[in-house]
Amino acid sequence: MARSKSMIVALADIRMALKLRMVKWSLVLSAAFGPLMTIALVAGPALVLTGPELELITSFMVPMAAALLAMFSIIPATMISANALVGEREQSTLEPLLCTPLTDNELLWGKTLSSVLICSAILVLGTLASTIGIAAILLVSGKQLIVFPDLPGLFMLAVVAPIVLFGVVSLMIIISGRVQRVYEAYQMSGAIIMIFMIPMLAPIISMESGAIGTSAIWMWNFVSFFLAVIVAVVTWAIAIKQFNRDRMVSLV
Amino acid sequence: MGEIVIDHLSKRFGKLEALDHLDIVVPKGSVFGLLGPNGAGKSTTTRLLCTLLKPSFGTAQVGEFDIIENPVKVREITGVLPEEGSHTLYPSMSAYQNLEYFAKLYDVPDEEIYERIEELLTFMGLWERKDDKAGELSTGNRQRLALCRALLHKPEVLLLDEPTSALDPVAAKRVRELILSLAKKYKQTFFINSHNLSEVQRICDRIAIIDKGRILLTGTTAELREQLHAKQEYMIRVTGDIETAKSIAESHHFVESVKVGVDSLIVTIDDPFENNSQLMKDMLAAGVNIIEFAEEEASLEDLYLEILSGGGD
Ligand SMILES: Nc1ncnc2c1ncn2[C@@H]1O[C@H](COP(=O)(O)OP(=O)(O)OP(=O)(O)O)[C@@H](O)[C@H]1O
Ligand SMILES: [Mg+2]
Repeated sequence: MARSKSMIVALADIRMALKLRMVKWSLVLSAAFGPLMTIALVAGPALVLTGPELELITSFMVPMAAALLAMFSIIPATMISANALVGEREQSTLEPLLCTPLTDNELLWGKTLSSVLICSAILVLGTLASTIGIAAILLVSGKQLIVFPDLPGLFMLAVVAPIVLFGVVSLMIIISGRVQRVYEAYQMSGAIIMIFMIPMLAPIISMESGAIGTSAIWMWNFVSFFLAVIVAVVTWAIAIKQFNRDRMVSLV
Repeated sequence: MGEIVIDHLSKRFGKLEALDHLDIVVPKGSVFGLLGPNGAGKSTTTRLLCTLLKPSFGTAQVGEFDIIENPVKVREITGVLPEEGSHTLYPSMSAYQNLEYFAKLYDVPDEEIYERIEELLTFMGLWERKDDKAGELSTGNRQRLALCRALLHKPEVLLLDEPTSALDPVAAKRVRELILSLAKKYKQTFFINSHNLSEVQRICDRIAIIDKGRILLTGTTAELREQLHAKQEYMIRVTGDIETAKSIAESHHFVESVKVGVDSLIVTIDDPFENNSQLMKDMLAAGVNIIEFAEEEASLEDLYLEILSGGGD
């Protein structure tokens, strides 16, 4: 019952978010950009390079593309959750919503679910599109097949990304209790993404300074993973604890 | 016992004491009117009652539930029309979708949702516009829609913050009739914030006047009306020289006060049964042409204005 109330809220939020032109187009852009970039990064070198050179590049590109793809799937969550809470307050629809028998938990779950559902869809579809796109290009051009994502990449996409997503949304919930306007929430969300961007993209940074081994990639993946788990758990607890109708209404 | 029992309810915003130990009891099935000037604390009261705000002191019971201990239950049995209700709809959703969303959140059974929405929208004259986006409706129509939203789940208690403020006279009348019939038929209890004194006088069983978060006066509308009739005000409409009429009125010891309008005087008369005819005779004798001499309908407005101007500390 509780979950289904949250689902009602989430679906309404998604429907409303998709009606906002800006949100709709940034969703479409980030959904398209992720796989396009992944395909370019992974299949691109394979079209021009061969032998050990290609092997080296591929060993960087495949996990890096996975991290980037994950990032691009998560960024829209900030926008959706900013609209779901601060946006509702800004257009003064939050007050009647808070007057319904929804419990704090149901409400926050609903507001979280809307971002999680959309971003998970972008993540899954983006990964599939990338896998198929890369395979198709390489097959058509008669090159050797590259499997995307590889194992660390799969870990990044299937395990780390959903937890990061959750952490990002709960941070957005905390922010929404402190800012008054949607654009302020957007601005703060940049900082949030940065927190996760560094460990997720750390392999790319270390790549520039020379070679990078699979073990380094795994290490950074685990750093991202633990960071995400900690942030997600802590922020969710804070978000639930701090969430307060009085404050949400009083911040006009 | 009352359906709404407000017990020393207080709310502070920083240094401002927006509500200061408010005590009100509203019996089941009655219509209660909360009156007061801007910033008096009316909306704060309804927001506390629907558990949006937490009291700084005191509490209230809505139905059988305490607003602090059982906020979810309180929200279940109340329907709320927030202040400026017309701005609280989702502009990109249709009228129907707005109501459908809230019907689900208020646990209206799925099979009843359509029927319920049709009934309410039809009553408010909005059924043909059910597929229009709420943002495209006029302010008054949005206010009607917001009222429908408050009534959707047949709540025991309705908290309406200025329900007719944006409505045209015909729609306002329909809403007043609806409130009265729901209170009577289904024993729904109404708590209404209003600036519209004649409306409050017509539909409310009891009222309270508050200012700066404190109750200045409370009672049943009948009691207040009696209080009003202790004053004996008369309206004398004349043609021609109003100044003569005024000076004649002022020359009598039994005339307590004289107010001059465009073509009429409002006089307060001591013991009118004894003295009215004397005044009339003297005026006629002086050549004042009296075309109307009538008892002033005592209105809540007079009482309200008097209390807020005179009673101030
Ligand atoms: N969230 C808030 N933060 C700070 N002060 C507030 C807040 N809400 C209300 N107030 C103050 O509390 C007082 C009472 O406000 P309230 O909205 O209850 O008045 P009201 O009687 O509804 O007035 P109106 O007739 O203008 O609607 C006002 O002085 C107002 O400025
Ligand atoms: Mg108000």
